[in-house]
Amino acid sequence: MNRNLARVVATLLGALAVALPALAGAYPLQVARNVMLYMALAITWDMLLRSGQISFGIAGLFGLGAYASILGVIRAGMPAWASIPFAAAFSALAALLIGYLILRLRGMYFSIVTLALAEIFRIVIHNLHDFTGGPEGIVAPQGVIFGGSASALYWLALGGLAVALGASIWFERSKFHFALTAIRDNEIAASTSGVNIFSWLLATFVITSGIQGLLGGIFVQSYGFATPDSVFSADFTLLPLAMALLGGIHGTVGPIMGAVLLGVASEWLKLQMPYGHLVVYGIIIIIVILFMPRGLYGLARKMARPAEGRAE
Amino acid sequence: MTKLRTEHLTRAFLGLVAVNDVSFSMEEGEILGIIGPNGAGKTTFINLVSGIIMPSSGTVEYKGRDITYLPAHDRARLGIARTYQLIHPLENLSLIQNVMVGSIFAKGNGLRAARAKAEEVCASLGLTGLDRDTSKLTILEIKKMEIARALANEPEVLFLDEVMAGLNSDETRELIAQVQTIARERKLAVGVVEHVMGVIKELTHRVIVLEAGELIAEGPYEEVSKNPRVIEAYLGGAA
Repeated sequence: MNRNLARVVATLLGALAVALPALAGAYPLQVARNVMLYMALAITWDMLLRSGQISFGIAGLFGLGAYASILGVIRAGMPAWASIPFAAAFSALAALLIGYLILRLRGMYFSIVTLALAEIFRIVIHNLHDFTGGPEGIVAPQGVIFGGSASALYWLALGGLAVALGASIWFERSKFHFALTAIRDNEIAASTSGVNIFSWLLATFVITSGIQGLLGGIFVQSYGFATPDSVFSADFTLLPLAMALLGGIHGTVGPIMGAVLLGVASEWLKLQMPYGHLVVYGIIIIIVILFMPRGLYGLARKMARPAEGRAE
Repeated sequence: MTKLRTEHLTRAFLGLVAVNDVSFSMEEGEILGIIGPNGAGKTTFINLVSGIIMPSSGTVEYKGRDITYLPAHDRARLGIARTYQLIHPLENLSLIQNVMVGSIFAKGNGLRAARAKAEEVCASLGLTGLDRDTSKLTILEIKKMEIARALANEPEVLFLDEVMAGLNSDETRELIAQVQTIARERKLAVGVVEHVMGVIKELTHRVIVLEAGELIAEGPYEEVSKNPRVIEAYLGGAA
């Protein structure tokens, strides 16, 4: 019954996502693109979190992909569409090298190192002035991809979301689910059951970072320019994190719920009081962490099957 | 056939030598008791053999192959499995999924094959209600689940670290019978750490006795239990 309900909701949401360009004007499509972008980032953040590793590096790999994409077009003469998979590959490769060095760290130590990534990349881009355009940023001479068509940009963003969704569902239904959950629950038991912890963490970090790079490429091609401060903005780390926490972690559904709620709410709040949405984000993170650590989806699931005693 | 052998195995934690120069071997089909007073180094010894920690010196050989510094997950793949003194359930997986982990990663089975294997292993231990959360299990069921997870590795060597602790006498009797059957049917070499000597007496073919990290006696339980050095180790030096 629960599963059928979920299927109906998913189908309706999917239908809505596909029908939206025919129904809505440019502004709602722009809002939808934003929500989908953050939703996809929230999903990828959660995918690594399923192993117990908390990354604060989303903005770093996202921004790296953004710059790989725009520089691929400007410096290497790539077609704009080809620069997007290139961005994914570039961030994935960077994650492979970085992950190899830092994935032996755990808990707070891992988190702090990832927090530094965005800052390091931002400073590097700042200083490679001749190649990257430096702090003022860089503009693609041919402008926005697809000539800036609102519906085409919407499809592109939806495509990025589909990649993140597909990967997340694949994680939930494959060996990744067993590997990451076992690592999160008990690394010692996992290792003596044959789980090569480092390899599974590295694979997960590379895949999620690659998708974050892909989303960075989509983002930058949708605007036709990049500045270090815009593509490495802390928003790209904090907003997805808040969305996943609000909706519920360790699964695909939670980040989707959180992104829809927070994405739409913040868009409305932006109109009411500029920057006020950031205050609301902060408050939501605090409330969620204090009162519902499993998020809205966790709360809903708990209420759906009450009064199950624990056998001790 | 010798499944597992250690030579001069030693592990020091700073000044404390937890396992000191232990040489032993385990044969196919043998149930070996590993006994000794608290702090004798029994769990450290199993940790060394299963790859949770690495030795300071000495070697570990599995079926003639040197595995002294092989990581734990590779040993699991070769055929060494274990349970833990403090239970290690994977809380966010169901009972059957816990057991599947062993089959998926140690044997490289697909999810479907792993589920079939896990069901078979659970049945041999009398586990039912396989889709329950681990929070719904009794202590006996958790212990059995951990044995099942180890068996799903399809190991040739299995260590059970105080698996009977916390069970009542009926449960203990049931589990002893099941371990004996499983060891016989699967031709396992089983290493058993227990504090209850009744269990050791009933279950094992042979015991080794550790005291302060050293192997002080070896042989059938009846023989070893009369050894004055063993009695002294357990009762303390006569004043």
